[in-house]
Amino acid sequence: MAFLDRTARSFLLWELVSGMALTLKYFFKPKYTINYPHEKGPISSRFRGEHALRRYPNGEERCIACKLCEAICPAQAITIEAEPREDGSRRTTRYDIDMTKCIYCGLCQEACPVDAIVEGPNFEFAAETREELFYNKDKLLANGDRWEAEIQANLTREAAYR
Amino acid sequence: MGEGAFLEGYVIPTAIIVAQIVAVMIPILLGVAYLTYAERKVIGAIQLRQGPMTVGPFGLLQPIADALKLLTKETILPAGSNRIVFLMAPMLTFILAIIAWAVIPFDEGWVISDINVGILYLFAISSLGVYGVIMAGWASNSKYPFLGALRSAAQMVSYEVSIGFVMVTVLLCVGSLNLTDIVMAQQTIWFAVPLLPMFVIFFISVLAETNRAPFDLPEGESELVAGFMVEYSSMSFALFFLGEYANMILMSGIATVLFLGGWLPPVDIAPFNWIPGPIWFGLKVAFLLFVFLWVRATFPRYRYDQLMRLGWKVFLPFSLLWVVLTAGVLVAFDWVPA
Amino acid sequence: MPKLTVDGIEVEVPQGATVLQACEEAGVEIPRFCYHDRLSIAGNCRMCLVEMEKAPKPVASCAFPAGDGMVIKTDTDLVKKARNGVMEFLLANHPLDCPICDQGGECDLQDQSMAYGFDRGRFIENKRAVSDKHMGPLIKTIMTRCIHCTRCVRFSTEIAGVDEMGMLNRGENAEITTYLEKALASELSGNVIDLCPVGALTSKPYAFKSRPWELTKTESVDVMDAVGSNIRVDSRGSEVLRVLPRIHEDVNEEWIADKTRYACDGLKRQRLDRPFVRVDGKLKAASWAETFTAIRDKLSGMDGKKIGAIAGDLADVESMLALKDLMTGLGSPNIDCRQDGAKVGGGARAGHLFNTSIAGIEEADAILLVGTNPRWEAPLVNARIRKTWLATDIEVAGIGPRLDLTYDVDWIGAGPQTLQEVVDGKHPFAEVLKAAEKPMIIVGSGALARTDGARVLGAAKKIADSYGLVTEDWNGFNVLHRAASRVGGLEIGFLPGEGGLDTAGMLEAAGKGELEAVWLLGADELDTAAFENTFVIYQGHHGDKGAHAADVILPGAAYTEKNGTYVSTEGRVQRTRYSHLPLGDAREDWKILRAVSEPLGAKLPYDTIDQLQKRMIELNGALARLDHVAAGDWGDFGTDGAMDDAAFTLPIDNYYMTDPISRASQTMAACTEAFLAQTERTGTDG
Repeated sequence: MAFLDRTARSFLLWELVSGMALTLKYFFKPKYTINYPHEKGPISSRFRGEHALRRYPNGEERCIACKLCEAICPAQAITIEAEPREDGSRRTTRYDIDMTKCIYCGLCQEACPVDAIVEGPNFEFAAETREELFYNKDKLLANGDRWEAEIQANLTREAAYR
Repeated sequence: MGEGAFLEGYVIPTAIIVAQIVAVMIPILLGVAYLTYAERKVIGAIQLRQGPMTVGPFGLLQPIADALKLLTKETILPAGSNRIVFLMAPMLTFILAIIAWAVIPFDEGWVISDINVGILYLFAISSLGVYGVIMAGWASNSKYPFLGALRSAAQMVSYEVSIGFVMVTVLLCVGSLNLTDIVMAQQTIWFAVPLLPMFVIFFISVLAETNRAPFDLPEGESELVAGFMVEYSSMSFALFFLGEYANMILMSGIATVLFLGGWLPPVDIAPFNWIPGPIWFGLKVAFLLFVFLWVRATFPRYRYDQLMRLGWKVFLPFSLLWVVLTAGVLVAFDWVPA
Repeated sequence: MPKLTVDGIEVEVPQGATVLQACEEAGVEIPRFCYHDRLSIAGNCRMCLVEMEKAPKPVASCAFPAGDGMVIKTDTDLVKKARNGVMEFLLANHPLDCPICDQGGECDLQDQSMAYGFDRGRFIENKRAVSDKHMGPLIKTIMTRCIHCTRCVRFSTEIAGVDEMGMLNRGENAEITTYLEKALASELSGNVIDLCPVGALTSKPYAFKSRPWELTKTESVDVMDAVGSNIRVDSRGSEVLRVLPRIHEDVNEEWIADKTRYACDGLKRQRLDRPFVRVDGKLKAASWAETFTAIRDKLSGMDGKKIGAIAGDLADVESMLALKDLMTGLGSPNIDCRQDGAKVGGGARAGHLFNTSIAGIEEADAILLVGTNPRWEAPLVNARIRKTWLATDIEVAGIGPRLDLTYDVDWIGAGPQTLQEVVDGKHPFAEVLKAAEKPMIIVGSGALARTDGARVLGAAKKIADSYGLVTEDWNGFNVLHRAASRVGGLEIGFLPGEGGLDTAGMLEAAGKGELEAVWLLGADELDTAAFENTFVIYQGHHGDKGAHAADVILPGAAYTEKNGTYVSTEGRVQRTRYSHLPLGDAREDWKILRAVSEPLGAKLPYDTIDQLQKRMIELNGALARLDHVAAGDWGDFGTDGAMDDAAFTLPIDNYYMTDPISRASQTMAACTEAFLAQTERTGTDG
């Protein structure tokens, strides 16, 4: 009986037909596509996107040139040079991130003792040339100013878990 | 010879034929273009995606964008290639895919050349298709194209045999090699019904013949990159592409003519017979093309030895058996057509 | 010899050793902040607490003398709790600003709190803040971080010999400060930075520059003076960021002088990083090929006697040897490595060495200083003398200008007459020398750079001969050089050949137009005005005096950029290690000489540094072993004869600027401004 059953299934191409029935079912199902530039998916508050250097509310830059991010960076994408500022405080004279080296692991923001370097929610920073992806301090600070509201909201949301 | 005679004797018939050719070719090329679009849409839908959506409303202008893209790309002639053969191969493929349409009837009398050996002509033309592939693979002078071409040749030859036998069963039932006659013979019942196993074998063999999934071994992406088309770019690639899709449409057309009653409505009663024949023909072709895409979205690629086994050890004996069986039935019940 | 048990290990320690030393003997690490091997015991940090059987409380191991039969435990819960507690107290008022602290990454407090500290702080009150103190241009203070270990106070009082640091007030108000917030006026002041276990005292020029983990550490040797201090050069890329001492008990213990430590910023200023050729009176950047052509055009066919070569104070033995061989090839006998004109070398080897050795000073019981200021010429030799002076009742007498050398010196005279009196036995100090078991005489290089220098040397030799300074196992005759290259140059005989001119002779001949070309190998302490009509080839690394007078400049490598052999004043052969490549187009000096020797038709027979060093060793076997002092043979040197009456003068009038590197250094300029103006005003220094 089993033989008959098997032979019948084989000759009637049962497996093929049932497979096609399944795909046909999916053909009519609603689609999951998000039309990216017009629609966007939700982003976790832990999303690790484009880097930004933050400032304190009074405008003072947070980064104190402790170089912990530079030390922990597994891709060695961060380069920092520091010297005493005019008021004697410890500040960077150079804070470069090579975004082409960066692997977006987020260790820099975890290492930062003052929440200065963060990976913000922005992931749309593609550029036409490599050079545009070599971020310097000005660019990073500008990012920080631009995304501060979102970054602050994310940090507040995640504060309980840190 | 007078001027009028020249006009009537040569110019007007030529013009009429050219107009007929154009009238056939333009819908085919448009069909090819939108077949690519349909393919992406259908496969997308089955994979729960939307497919092209950006160029034009619902991505409808996508084929045009693709064509423009291909046209503006650089044609690369590999340094080690045989240039003449290399360039002839895509042209041959494309031409063969187009000229077969000369004998396909879209409606009663709607055919460019109503020859009485139409089916033989089709068989001959589709068999020639393998040359384009072989030439491309050989002329590229490169490993992957060569392997792809060899696979393709073996595959096409194998399935040609069973296609031949399937056609023979149909011919036995019709008693004519003329395609219009074949269609007219199906007025009572489509051959797909009594010859259903033959129709299935024919369709599967057509998949193999046109190098479509699940028999797309010649261009298997994962092992041969793109098979015999590896070295092609720009317009030469586009010609292959057009040829392949035109072949799909052609094969669907042949299947429609042989098994689905060509331009005939499913049942000859109102409101079905209000709809003109060419539209029925187009709908049937479109359905078959949808099945092409559906199959592609459903089944994984065959292994090469499985492909050969299927062709020689299953389809060939099976179709041979059906030829004998059909002939036997026809003789036994004295149904042999005059 | 008490025997005691530490964690079940039985150890025997010398009488008077502390429990901490016994623990170290047993291989047990005891955390500590205030205790330091080379300083007196303070016992105020309490970090070294250990448990002792029969003692009611944990004892401070650093201050507790080891006794026979003691049973010490260092891994009990009590000890752990005690360490936790001490750590918590120390951190109660520590600002925990590690991210902005320069000590971060190499901080004792950081490391030990990780290893032995409590896992949280319970101190919720306000931390105290202490105002920062001014300690001069070298030391940056962040006194809030101070944990009052008093290592710096003990160092400045004991080792440096300047009683300028101390602790004020008590309890929470305790503060370390300098007297009236004056800069710490010592040539060894930088060592308090290394001693400070926290970030309270850090290097001012290095402030915020880098982190320890970023630096490439290269073990090298100092060339700022002739002591040959062992140093570690910390560099990042092609920039030397700081210099730290390495421990070498026979040379610098674990201290280095401020010039050694801080002149490194001079290595990136005023550098010659490409060749130059003088065209129409102006120096123009050129390619190596162009400079070689210029040299060839000038020198080829020139009589060798009209060419001279002078090696400067920072030259390594290899490049001096290459230059010597090149000059020999050109037929020139006019070479000299004594650009100050010291009449030393050529005779017996002992005649130009610090034969007692620096460590040997500790055995001496009488020292006669002749025309020298060891505090400036060799601060670590001076520190050794002070160490001996503190530990023993050594008698130190000096001939020359009165100076504060941080220990008592009997200034018995100002000039050669006094020296002659000692030679003749007329001076009372002659009796002291005679009575001493291990007497020493230290002749400064300044005393030998006089026209009668050879006779001063002769007089010193006479003292050595007649008062028993040289015996079987003791050699008390010492020449104190101040240039790192000097002994090396003397060892390979970079001295005028037969009929050759010495430095003074070359200057005179150049003035007269008899010397047509001169090769200066980093020689900058010369009166280059004499070379106005001479073709000057300057090979060196800094655009200093010599480079300004040059017609062709060949950019060479500084000591941090080459593997060069240097021989210290005591004859110790040591090698610098390159921490990065020479800047720009500059090359190692011996390579330049090897390259230029070919167009000059006097091709040098070595292609690698190994071949050159082999030749060096063939020339003088004493250079064969690194970090080795080959004893000098006692023989003839110096000349007899009456010395001039003129008093001895000192060769260095600014400790902070003695060579091209320190002259280019901004830190050294700041020191000059801060210390020399001050010391002149207070009259504490010569």
